[in-house]
Amino acid sequence: MSVQRAVNTLGVVFFPAFDWAISPTHPERQERLLYTMDQLKEEGVFDIPGITEHKPDVASMEDIRRVHFSFPDTGSNLTSSHLISAGGAIKAGTMVLQGQEDKAFALVRPPGHHAMKVVHGGRGFCNINIEAIMVEYLREFHGVGRVAIVDTDCHHGDGTQDIYWHDPETLYISLHQDGRTLFPGSGFPGEIGGPKARGRTLNIPLPPNTSDEGFLAVMDNVVVPVLEHFKPDVIVNSAGQDNHFTDPITNMRFSAQGYAALNTKLNPDIAVLEGGYSIQGALPYVNLGIVLAMAGLDYSFVREPDYDPESLRQEQRINDYVKRVSEVVLKNYFTPPSSEVSQDKQDGYYVRSKEVFYDTSFITERQREFVLDCTNCRGLLVIETSSSKIRNCLAIEVPRGACQSCAREGERKFAEAKDSDRYSNIQYINRLEGTTQRHRT
Amino acid sequence: MLLGIDVGGTHTDAVLLDTNGLVDSAKVVTNHDDLLSSVRAALEAILTDRGQIDLERFNLSTTLCTNAIIQNELSDVGVLVSAGPGIDPNFFRIGQHYSVIPGGLDHRGTEIQSLDLDRARQTVDDWLGKDVRVFAAINKFSPRNPSHEKQMAELLDGRADFLTLGHTLSGQLNFPRRIATAYYNSAVWPIFNGFANSVHQCVQEFGLSPQLNILKADGGTMPFEQARQTPVESIFSGPAASIMGITSMCDIHEDALLLDIGGTTTDVAVFADGDPLIEAESIELEHRPTLVRAMKTKSIGLGGDSCITVQEGQLSIGPKRLGACLAQGGPAPTLVDALNSAKCFAYGDIEASDKGMQELGGSLEMSCEGFSWQVIQSFCRRIKEDAQAMLREINERPVYTVHEFLEYRKVAPKRLYLMGGPAEVLAPYISQEFGLPVVVPDNYAVANALGAAIARPTQQAELFADTEKRTMSIPVLGVFQDISSRYSLEQAKTDVKNHLRQAMADRFHMEVTEQEAEIIEESEMSMVKDIYSVGKDIRVKCQVKPGISPEYEGVVKCLCKEL
Repeated sequence: MSVQRAVNTLGVVFFPAFDWAISPTHPERQERLLYTMDQLKEEGVFDIPGITEHKPDVASMEDIRRVHFSFPDTGSNLTSSHLISAGGAIKAGTMVLQGQEDKAFALVRPPGHHAMKVVHGGRGFCNINIEAIMVEYLREFHGVGRVAIVDTDCHHGDGTQDIYWHDPETLYISLHQDGRTLFPGSGFPGEIGGPKARGRTLNIPLPPNTSDEGFLAVMDNVVVPVLEHFKPDVIVNSAGQDNHFTDPITNMRFSAQGYAALNTKLNPDIAVLEGGYSIQGALPYVNLGIVLAMAGLDYSFVREPDYDPESLRQEQRINDYVKRVSEVVLKNYFTPPSSEVSQDKQDGYYVRSKEVFYDTSFITERQREFVLDCTNCRGLLVIETSSSKIRNCLAIEVPRGACQSCAREGERKFAEAKDSDRYSNIQYINRLEGTTQRHRT
Repeated sequence: MLLGIDVGGTHTDAVLLDTNGLVDSAKVVTNHDDLLSSVRAALEAILTDRGQIDLERFNLSTTLCTNAIIQNELSDVGVLVSAGPGIDPNFFRIGQHYSVIPGGLDHRGTEIQSLDLDRARQTVDDWLGKDVRVFAAINKFSPRNPSHEKQMAELLDGRADFLTLGHTLSGQLNFPRRIATAYYNSAVWPIFNGFANSVHQCVQEFGLSPQLNILKADGGTMPFEQARQTPVESIFSGPAASIMGITSMCDIHEDALLLDIGGTTTDVAVFADGDPLIEAESIELEHRPTLVRAMKTKSIGLGGDSCITVQEGQLSIGPKRLGACLAQGGPAPTLVDALNSAKCFAYGDIEASDKGMQELGGSLEMSCEGFSWQVIQSFCRRIKEDAQAMLREINERPVYTVHEFLEYRKVAPKRLYLMGGPAEVLAPYISQEFGLPVVVPDNYAVANALGAAIARPTQQAELFADTEKRTMSIPVLGVFQDISSRYSLEQAKTDVKNHLRQAMADRFHMEVTEQEAEIIEESEMSMVKDIYSVGKDIRVKCQVKPGISPEYEGVVKCLCKEL
């Protein structure tokens, strides 16, 4: 055997933020990627021809505003570390789209997949959605259209789901521990996307103790066939690593071998680190496995010290469950139930009411979301939102690919809202023009 | 007095200096088959008829180990490796005798599989039977815990001529590099050791008994006794010698670039605040990256003898050298001919230059002079582009904290130093291209030997403390200690400085001040189990950087003409 050379060139954007944490003993803390760094360096990963380490970019406020309505303003819901983390994802995506690297892995923190379209504070260790910020950046500047985001974090990526709920061009697939047993308590198979994007959100909840076998079966039977049909321009892996059998805050039995094999099957263009809090027993091995799998290299010796495939085998009951849920999800994609059945409508708008709890910032939010039922496009988005911190906010988005009529309606609503004294804070995103505006009274 | 000898590819240079300046210099032709004779010849040239001198130090920069590797005059090495989980260690196989012994440690140095001593013993016995005399033992994560390397050493005790233990080479984590570095260290040991003996004897024959040091690729020196332990560090010391010489002669103390325009390449070195940049992971040997620290340099495939061609209507310079320039009767036009025809200078047969440039320029429908200027300009532009690419790479170096990201200090050269044959003529055009002042030192011919002579010992040491395990280690200094659970970053900084200063005094005969042992990286992180802090992970990197003995600082100056 001689020195390995990467089959796919891989750019690794590594930013462990060793001086940033939510709080000193929080799971998402300084030390989180320390042993991953040690393992990657000791393995000489960045000396392998074809694997290169890169410094992240820093995201601009405009990159965040393109995606999020953030109250009272964007700056107050994030820190420099978030901008660098999002900038790391942007760097990863840009390198791939520019052809500088075949694939890229943003090994950055803090994570982002619990951050929703509207942000009042931190949820599930997330303040801004770094994948969505990257995807919308790539759409704005690199002509990307259809995107698939496959979220393999143990927690349902309710933030990413929320951002892309109405977007038929973004397929969001989440594999996660059943919401009845874990934060954030959502992600059931019936959540399949808004009226104009039915089947573009797919949720595959898995029971506690699901192991490699279950995850890989879902890849083979659901994810891969759906992706083959959807034909995305770009596949993004929200690479959370907390399905690991040693993770302290979840209950699954996934292994480094499993994560690496999942990556081989998924073959993502871009991976972005999400959760994963077994910082000694899992992350060093899982991250190494993902890096090697993305580069197309041998990972057969990447095993946790306490890895025992026999003791991690899943019960027959789980096999049966996985099979059943896979059938349901496949049906949700290929023949989604009609939107008229389940969605309330008011003055030509589909209406959805939500309550959101920001567990990291201890804020509650109530919102009413309106999507114009337009025959020409996915429809103007309007959200009324109030939180325990700030009341009566309004958010308006003229989405990508909106028709002129929706654009005019958005403009009119923004002007009308500014003139009225109903709202304390109005935020307006116009993706047709590539502009954002803020208005506060 | 100091004596410096640089055994280079073509010439061996020597200088003798005292605190008042240069006493003498000499140049002899290098004999590749017998480097010792070159050293002896240089010594003779300097010392004959000089009478008794008080020689304090003799610093030697030699291509001995580099040549041994390039010409594959390496000894067979028995390489024992233990790995644990990760990349299959068979991918790092090197040499004829390489064996992966079952056993492994994790990233915190915790043993997860004990070393299979029976297997190791059998392997060693087998190799000894095949007359393998030198060995290398490397375990994954040995800077965290070298216990497997030490167990392998015990097995070999008294039976090997030489053994390299991975953790003694560097505290840097990089298993494949540590394997390659340990392998080469053992593979060149027999040649180096013999050479060191001969040089020692040779110096004695001249009636001298100075401290004997070898120059390293990072611009520092190590005494012969130390070099016998880490001969691999003497590779590629030539460029470091020149850079140290120029640093001393020109008194550089800001961000700067040094461009050395040779026959076929232009070598670039970078200074930050006057210190040459050093890389911990730079040198490759036979395409194997190593852990040998070296001056950060880049070789651009463009020099005074690079031939000029026109292909498909496009001007191209280098990277080939077909011979001397036309002005010297060579076969093809080079930069020198372009400088002749542009009337920048008059060198050799100007008519031959003009004829060649006329012909090539004609194919592009350009006048001889116009074409010559284009060659000069595109030469300067390529140098600038490549130098800027190097700077970009340096300035894009990953950082791991928000603070460093926000406070990042970029290297931005304020001045260029230009050396080599066409330096003086090219200086105004290089200056214009870069938009920076250019300095051309005169008398740089002695820079390499001078650099060797004035260089001082360097050493880097990485301290790692784990207060949960209550252990502290400085692998390269062989320090492995128990500590209290209250051990702090401040304590770690004091410890690494003291140990480094002590080691410099013991091993390198050098008194290092508190300031000279500088902390270059430090971090302290809480280790948390569940929600309780169980200890601290403390890391400190300390170095004694390359420098010049104070009493010899600036004793040899050159006229640095700014153009």
